[in-house]
Amino acid sequence: MTTTDIPAPATRKPGATTTPKRRPRRESQGPAWVFLSPWVLGAIVLTLLPMAVSLYLSFTDYDLFNPPRWVGLRNYVQMFTEDPRYWRSVVTTLTYVVIAVPLQLALALAVALALKSMKRGKGFYRSAFYAPSLLGASMSIALVWRAVFNDGGTVDNLLGTGGWVNKPGWALLAVALLTVWQFGAPMVIFLAGLQQIPAELYEAAAVDGAGKWRQFLSVTVPMLSPVLFFNLVLQTIQAFQVFTPAFAIGAGKGGPADSTLVYTLYLYDRGFVASHMGYASAMAWVLLIVIGVVTAVLFRTSRSWVFYASEGDR
Amino acid sequence: MPGHRTKGFCASAAALALCAMLAGCGGSGESVGGGKVVLRYTWWGNPDRAERTEQAVALFEKQHPNIQVRTSFSAYEAYKQKLAVQASGGDAPDVMQLDYRQIDQYASGGVLLDLAEQKAVLRTGEIDPGLLATGRLDDTQYAIPQGRGTETVAYDVKAWKASGVPLPGKSWTWSEWADTMRALAKKTGKPGATDPGQSEDCFEVWLRGRGKSLYTEDGGLGFTADDLTRWWTFTDKLRREGAVSPAEQTTQLDGSVENTPLGRGEAVSDANWDAPASGFLALIPTGVALAPMPSGEDGTPGQYFKPSMFLGVGAGTNHPKEAAQLVDFLINDEQAARILGASRGIPVNESIREETASQLKDFDKTIAEYQSSLEGSLKDPPQAPPSGDNALQATFQRDYDQVSYERMSPREAAENYVTEAKAELRS
Repeated sequence: MTTTDIPAPATRKPGATTTPKRRPRRESQGPAWVFLSPWVLGAIVLTLLPMAVSLYLSFTDYDLFNPPRWVGLRNYVQMFTEDPRYWRSVVTTLTYVVIAVPLQLALALAVALALKSMKRGKGFYRSAFYAPSLLGASMSIALVWRAVFNDGGTVDNLLGTGGWVNKPGWALLAVALLTVWQFGAPMVIFLAGLQQIPAELYEAAAVDGAGKWRQFLSVTVPMLSPVLFFNLVLQTIQAFQVFTPAFAIGAGKGGPADSTLVYTLYLYDRGFVASHMGYASAMAWVLLIVIGVVTAVLFRTSRSWVFYASEGDR
Repeated sequence: MPGHRTKGFCASAAALALCAMLAGCGGSGESVGGGKVVLRYTWWGNPDRAERTEQAVALFEKQHPNIQVRTSFSAYEAYKQKLAVQASGGDAPDVMQLDYRQIDQYASGGVLLDLAEQKAVLRTGEIDPGLLATGRLDDTQYAIPQGRGTETVAYDVKAWKASGVPLPGKSWTWSEWADTMRALAKKTGKPGATDPGQSEDCFEVWLRGRGKSLYTEDGGLGFTADDLTRWWTFTDKLRREGAVSPAEQTTQLDGSVENTPLGRGEAVSDANWDAPASGFLALIPTGVALAPMPSGEDGTPGQYFKPSMFLGVGAGTNHPKEAAQLVDFLINDEQAARILGASRGIPVNESIREETASQLKDFDKTIAEYQSSLEGSLKDPPQAPPSGDNALQATFQRDYDQVSYERMSPREAAENYVTEAKAELRS
């Protein structure tokens, strides 16, 4: 869902996008729309319409049973000024993003580097490391995770840590670790990016006397920065929306002591447990805006650290 | 940069879909397969209750070959959420089990059928009028109480006897109870009970023992932050002394007996409702017994007989008559009563209650005897809680987590709760 329209970084060439051919005339667009219609219908019925309804609901008091009642900005005012639990969920989510995203990207890059230099069995290991990402979105693996980190669970038995999922200081880390473990998608993208770096750059660097570490910092990192940026944006957006692992590990209520009550979980709680759909919709819109702002900020900073090889060609 | 907005939009679709999808749901979930009437019947409960319900439903299908019943059940918390979403989408089951807390919301929200329309097949003459009235709102009978329950202190008989602490008697006050829990903890090395601070139900019993109530008659809050502070200070002290379960155990409570400290073998007793307490027997096969809840210091009882659950019929059902027949069967059929036993509380149909009393077996008998020992000594039940209570039950547990993990003082948490409760009851 989130992967759809971030431009593929490696192929972006400013100035090369205008095609010389004229667009086909209007009458020939008919068939195109016919073929597009399933997607367009889906987008309207399943995305745009519900979004419009949710925007409307965010200005109402709606308990699921009685018709929505218009309350203006009250939901938003209450959220920002009268709900300490809301702010706790914001802090929890930010903490989670700051822990999970860098750890996950670092691990993905490390494994991609190891795989790149591998001579045999690359396909096997690539699949093996990717597997958790396929499992990870499911509820069942999150429940397994809860059992593993519970008191008397595997981790407790091996390391004597006690049940992390019942300790407010540790439960969020268990959630983050589940995300980190699902590093498959960024890893595959890193791997593709690494293989596109021309070998002659490394040869030139080696001739200049650069060691492995120097090569990594001066060749790999800048050449890989568009891919790194792509992964960073994608994973950050996903991390803000974490739900399933927090739901399962926090036993459905963001426990213990609200320590895994991330934003979407509190949103769910307000909407489906407390039956305040208006308030939950308002929370969803604030999340949308915050993710938009964070993404914009990332794009802004990218100008100073993302290097596109094509820029050098000009 | 093109696509900024689209990106953000797509990204949030998951969160939004959650809320927004509701508008899209609709239609009745009924279908007729092979000329048969198909009814959906949902409830919450444990595997024991599920097994007995399936048996009873099979008997119903045998008696009514033209009706097929599709059943589904889950644990209480999950059930509550799922049913709310189904109901709001106009997709409520034909027959649904409801809690006392849900009646107000579901009846006033137009989810439930007026059962007077089906008087011909749904008999209520054998139910105590006072009990029957608990399923009524504005003089309309929206739901039928299915069983009668009360709270109890369920305990592991073997562990308690082995400790040498005298077994609980016919009544005890909260301070006697606390002393007993301390003694049990000292002798067994395990907490005496689940920390009752997390339970809104236990708080209500304590509150009623002091002559107060959770809610006022007009649906406002019946207690002050001082009352709650006193309660949480009392339980917090017991927890610090090790007399009741530690925070790590308490936080795992989810309404199932399996996740209580008693069920996990980490405590000697647990305050619970009497019907679900039957689930403990599967976990503690050496024996479970029931003692009354503690009373106020002057002996005022706090616990009460409550309709443990109701049956309602969806207002949108295509087969109101058949749905009412199923409700009638579950409440008034003698064979069904024998199968169901006390798994949903003691039957409400009085002649069936008397007839089956002598035939009750095992734990059902324990529950029946426990209830008859309290007969006549308890005060009247409070009226149905206001609909906001549905959310507050979870908030109560959540706020107490802050106390038991020592992140807030009882005073701070109590004031938080009272603020939240007032906002909830106002809206």
